[in-house]
Amino acid sequence: MADIIQTVILGLALGGVFALMGSGLSLIFGVMRIVNLAHPALIVAGAYIAYWGFRLAGIDPLIMLPVAAFVLAVVGIVIYKLMFERDANSAKYTQMTVLLTFALAMIVEGALGTAFTNTQRVTSPSYATDAFFIGDVFIPKGQLYAGLVSLAIIGGLSLFLKYSRFGYAIRATTQNREAAELLGVNVNFVAMASFAIGIGLAGAAGALVSFVFSFFPAKHWEWIAILMSLVVLGGMGSILGTVLAAFMLSVVAAFVGDIFGATWSTMTFFLALFLVLLIRPQGLFGEKPELA
Amino acid sequence: MTMAINDTSSVLQAREAHNAKLASAHDKTRVIWFPVTLLAVLLILPALQFAGNYNYLLHLVLFTACYVTMASGWNVLGGFTGYISLGHNVFFAIGGYFAGMIFARYGVSTIILAPLAGLLCAAAGFLLGQIMLKTRGPSFIISSLALVMIARILLDHWQFVGGANGVALPANDLPVQWAKLPYYYAFVLLAAFTVWACYKIKHSKFGLGLRAISKDEIKAESAGINTRLYKQLAFAISAAFVGMAGAIWGEYLTYIRPNIFTIILVSVYMVLMCILGGKGTIAGPVIGAILILAFNEFFVATLGASEINILATGLIMALVLMFFPLGIVGTLAKAGRLPRVLNWD
Repeated sequence: MADIIQTVILGLALGGVFALMGSGLSLIFGVMRIVNLAHPALIVAGAYIAYWGFRLAGIDPLIMLPVAAFVLAVVGIVIYKLMFERDANSAKYTQMTVLLTFALAMIVEGALGTAFTNTQRVTSPSYATDAFFIGDVFIPKGQLYAGLVSLAIIGGLSLFLKYSRFGYAIRATTQNREAAELLGVNVNFVAMASFAIGIGLAGAAGALVSFVFSFFPAKHWEWIAILMSLVVLGGMGSILGTVLAAFMLSVVAAFVGDIFGATWSTMTFFLALFLVLLIRPQGLFGEKPELA
Repeated sequence: MTMAINDTSSVLQAREAHNAKLASAHDKTRVIWFPVTLLAVLLILPALQFAGNYNYLLHLVLFTACYVTMASGWNVLGGFTGYISLGHNVFFAIGGYFAGMIFARYGVSTIILAPLAGLLCAAAGFLLGQIMLKTRGPSFIISSLALVMIARILLDHWQFVGGANGVALPANDLPVQWAKLPYYYAFVLLAAFTVWACYKIKHSKFGLGLRAISKDEIKAESAGINTRLYKQLAFAISAAFVGMAGAIWGEYLTYIRPNIFTIILVSVYMVLMCILGGKGTIAGPVIGAILILAFNEFFVATLGASEINILATGLIMALVLMFFPLGIVGTLAKAGRLPRVLNWD
């Protein structure tokens, strides 16, 4: 019994981090119909910001989190201006942007690799290797803090989307771009702002990731399909769906890892991605098969 | 009554004649002599070995021919049919491992095994297509990425094929001057065959159907094209070419290892070559392969760092997608300035 609880807890702790990693991706797809394959690469970039803050100035990654989020949000605005603003009306837009963000992922990976080499890095604040014990069950502090912080951020984001005026505009654009524009929403500005917020979330996730996983520039390839599986299972564009999918799949992956060995646990995400695309392409909370 | 039947049959005949004309419609300005001359030059190129050591040159031609085969193969699905796959290196791996393992165990040359590897990959492509082609557009791209990840994990942990370390294959015992020659001819002929086959496919009724699917799948379906079968066949054919290239590539490198076949850069190159040269054209993948590999060689020789190489590849891809989405051949043809030597359609 303790084993089962332990596995569930480890899965949930990991799920919290994945939830934040995926929610920015989901937001961007919802508003802009861009499948941002560069998202994990930008998360790695955020992780490097937290890493250097900790390494050079001894700043806790959790304090570096807003810095990473802000820097990445600015990067997001630049990327949007350079790459996506001009194409918003071209035909086969979504398919084209997948390749474009794929190219962006390579650019980010190459730039990070050139600057920081391919060495494995990890931030090691004191809590990263510590754990709480409740009876036989242990909860790693690093993953717990990361999970809680990411849930707090996602909670804040949901409140912002639900109650602020700008949040209304974002949700309206997600639901129907043309109608929102007719009602006076500045759709282009909303798109840019949501892209910046989404990439900012990647930066925040990066700061958390920096002490949960070890990372290096090419690490993002491992995450692309994992994050895609969360977003597709949750229903592209639904942040709630992404969060639920993150917890579900992480717990399943934890059990798979426990039973078959750690190497097979990531397989859970890939197979889930495959199966969801085939059986229910709209995912849990998607309204219609947008991607098909 | 008979009259009416005669009428319909003549209409049908006219229709079929028209379809056949549409399918085989060639561009009047196309040139055949250029690719044929190119092939002839490449076939006599190894004679240089009598004069000195040109192994590096042969390696470059062979390497380019390998990628011409793969990019042209990818083009059948990605260019003609419009389904962008980032997972085609899986077939490169299947072909390489299948032929490589038989070569390692029984010593049968992979050049003989290549057609078999092609058939195996066609079967694998047909079956995977049955599953993956239910998705479309971006979800197809994502599912193809997931396929690479799954293949990578499986090959990394399958001990029979050596896991992550792979299997070493024996090198041939020809003198060093001629050691590359069998692979050289195999790849050049394979590339020539692939380009010729792509040309034939594009101008067949089947190819016309594929092009219709890439324009508008629903209309193609309602025009009576069995889109499901067509797409699966396109997937199978394109997988077969990539698999044949993979089969010989393993023996040429003298080892098979997941790191060679399943890294994402291999499939990125296929996609990038087609997009840079011009998706859906015959000459496009050839031009793309030559340019990308020349550029790659230049970068590795001058800067040496693979990280800058990744950065540059990404930059080129982004710039081409943003400013020349039709690629070199497509953009020039649209502007009416395509040099006749590049018009192979």
